[in-house]
Amino acid sequence: MKLLSLRLCNFRQFYGQTPEIVLAGGDRRKITVIHGNNGAGKTGLLNAFTWVLYEKFTAAFASEDQLVNKRAIAEAKVGATIECWAEVVFEHGGTQYQAKRVCRAYKQKDGVEQSKSELRLLAKNETGRWLPTSYQPEDVIGRILPESLHRYFFFDGERIEQIVRSNKKAEIAEATKILLGVEVLNRSVKHLGEARKSLEKELGQIGDPETQKLLKQKEKLEQERDRLLKRQDEIERELGYQDEIKQITSQRLRELAGVEQLQQRRDDLEAQEKLTREKLRQSRANLRQAVSSRGYMVLLGDATAQFRSLVDELRQRGELPADIKQQFVQDLLTRNRCICGTELAEGSEPHHYVQAYLDKAGLADVEETVIRMGAQVDAIDRQVPEFWQEVDQEQANINQFKMSLSHVEEALESIREKLRQSPSEDIRKLQSRMDEVEQKIRELTLEQGANQQQIKDWEAQMEELGRQIEKHRMSETRQEQVQRRITAAEDAIARLKQVQEGLGQLFRLQLEKRVQEIFSQISFTPYVPRLNEKYELTLEETMAGQPASVAASTGENQILSLSFIGAIIDRIREWSKGKSGILMPDSSTFPIVMDSPFGSLDEIYRRQVARAIPVLANQLVVLVTKTQWRGEVAEEMADCVGHQYVLTYNSPKPDCQVDQIELEGTAYPLVRQSPDEYEYSEVRKVGHE
Amino acid sequence: MTKELNISDVQEPIATAPPEVRRIIERVLKAERDKLYMKNPRHINDDILTIIKEEVP
Repeated sequence: MKLLSLRLCNFRQFYGQTPEIVLAGGDRRKITVIHGNNGAGKTGLLNAFTWVLYEKFTAAFASEDQLVNKRAIAEAKVGATIECWAEVVFEHGGTQYQAKRVCRAYKQKDGVEQSKSELRLLAKNETGRWLPTSYQPEDVIGRILPESLHRYFFFDGERIEQIVRSNKKAEIAEATKILLGVEVLNRSVKHLGEARKSLEKELGQIGDPETQKLLKQKEKLEQERDRLLKRQDEIERELGYQDEIKQITSQRLRELAGVEQLQQRRDDLEAQEKLTREKLRQSRANLRQAVSSRGYMVLLGDATAQFRSLVDELRQRGELPADIKQQFVQDLLTRNRCICGTELAEGSEPHHYVQAYLDKAGLADVEETVIRMGAQVDAIDRQVPEFWQEVDQEQANINQFKMSLSHVEEALESIREKLRQSPSEDIRKLQSRMDEVEQKIRELTLEQGANQQQIKDWEAQMEELGRQIEKHRMSETRQEQVQRRITAAEDAIARLKQVQEGLGQLFRLQLEKRVQEIFSQISFTPYVPRLNEKYELTLEETMAGQPASVAASTGENQILSLSFIGAIIDRIREWSKGKSGILMPDSSTFPIVMDSPFGSLDEIYRRQVARAIPVLANQLVVLVTKTQWRGEVAEEMADCVGHQYVLTYNSPKPDCQVDQIELEGTAYPLVRQSPDEYEYSEVRKVGHE
Repeated sequence: MTKELNISDVQEPIATAPPEVRRIIERVLKAERDKLYMKNPRHINDDILTIIKEEVP
């Protein structure tokens, strides 16, 4: 999606029709800067985009039910209708679209009533005529840039850190999966499964009794499994919720006087526990890997000994090394003369004698094999002690991790006990809440594991039933046809599942790498962003050689969020170029519209962000106050600025303090005395007057 | 064991599928992508059933 222009009429602060705000979108000059003081309508403009396209507003946008300009309402007669609209023109896939959302206010004696808004979408055809789209406007826009993702492209810079806050993690993970095409795969697998079920039902109606019986069994298992899968989702959500409560509780404990240190120690211990569990898991995986890939070697002792004794026997009998080559003997026989000069006439005794060497010479092959196998056998023998050493090491590690886990657990329990015995009732209460939550988490985790096992069992049984059904001879053509379809669907599912596994990992790792690159470009901290398997984003630092999670500041989280958005845009641009295009959403061009982009950042960060963002985004609209558009930001972005606009706020306050901004050598009013009793804003293009 | 994965390795199961399965996969992916913006894609199950029936006559 490339934004071309925005126009408003009676929308919020903007009285009447604004001039068309043309948005820059060149390869280089891709930034549109809109200057305005607090209250001049910057947030209103940002929300005009999200209102038109998605009927959504950002958190900073107050009184959503008062969209229509107050002056326009005041000037209208009672009983009149006042129209308020916003219009966004954008381009996608070579087609231009005009999206216009209209909302009406009805002025009545006792107040104003606002209607539900309506969205109209026109597309420009080849002949240059604007015609309504053949699909629902919401559908067309949703296909170009899904609604669930809009907040990553139209956002309030002062609140952008929300993107990486823990309570939003699941939501971001979902959105990321959609953007990365992972969701397309997930849905394909799910819906192909549904289609297969329908086909099986069809088969059930036409198949013989035995087939029908097997199908029914399978269907029942499937239902059971789906029920458990649903439960697994619930557990996952519930765990997230419990975790949140736990965090809030520990936060409150940390704030309570007298126990901050204890709580801090508990946080540290819990982090350590998590890390140790991860290491334990890794060690166990290493051990499994070693046993499954090289474990067989230790069982080869008898075989290698036998090999050696065979070789020794051959050597003792003088058959090895075979010092005469078969080819050499053959040559002598063809020449009919030995190297000593004796004639080798066929049938003569010397001929027989030499010919006998042919058998011996045959051992040359054996010799070669002995040499080759000998090298392998030696290698195996050498590796056996290495294997044992590794196994011992991993087992020692596992024991050590288990031990340190039990120490951590003891220490944690003693902290809990102290808090439980605390003289303060508040603390006792919080701790008892914590105990409850932890108990609940334990129960849920156990149930999750048991369910996982059950699901796996059932899936294996279903697979077996599927094989039996397939084996069942089908005589009728119709049955065969349905069976062929089922087989094809199953094959498609199996293949998509393989792709799903590989792709998910590939995309996640590449995205993580890009986030890390961008983050390290901007931030001066040594923190490293991590994207875990659930696509949750965190910051880590290395403490004494061990990774630990960071309690990042708002500024750091803002930079992390920007890096994340930038990385997504960048990766999608790359991926949609290649073969993976089939999985990607339609868009590979993303605009970024940001209000107050540098809110909580200090000078260095403002400069770095100002430098990084234009490189990442395809198009950028920034809404800034005079102080936000300070030296370093203006400097870094100067080369990329295409258009600039100023929002002039007309204040009805008699002694209002006027303000202005100088741009391209001209002074533009930011705040000025209103010519009448109304408060409203106007849009001016820089370099146009 | 961290093998550098690349996109064609990952998509190999699709590339090596029998022609009809490959066509099913490609068409299903396209159908899903087209309806990705919907939380609960309308009629997607019917669409997919039709694809399978067309590709495996």
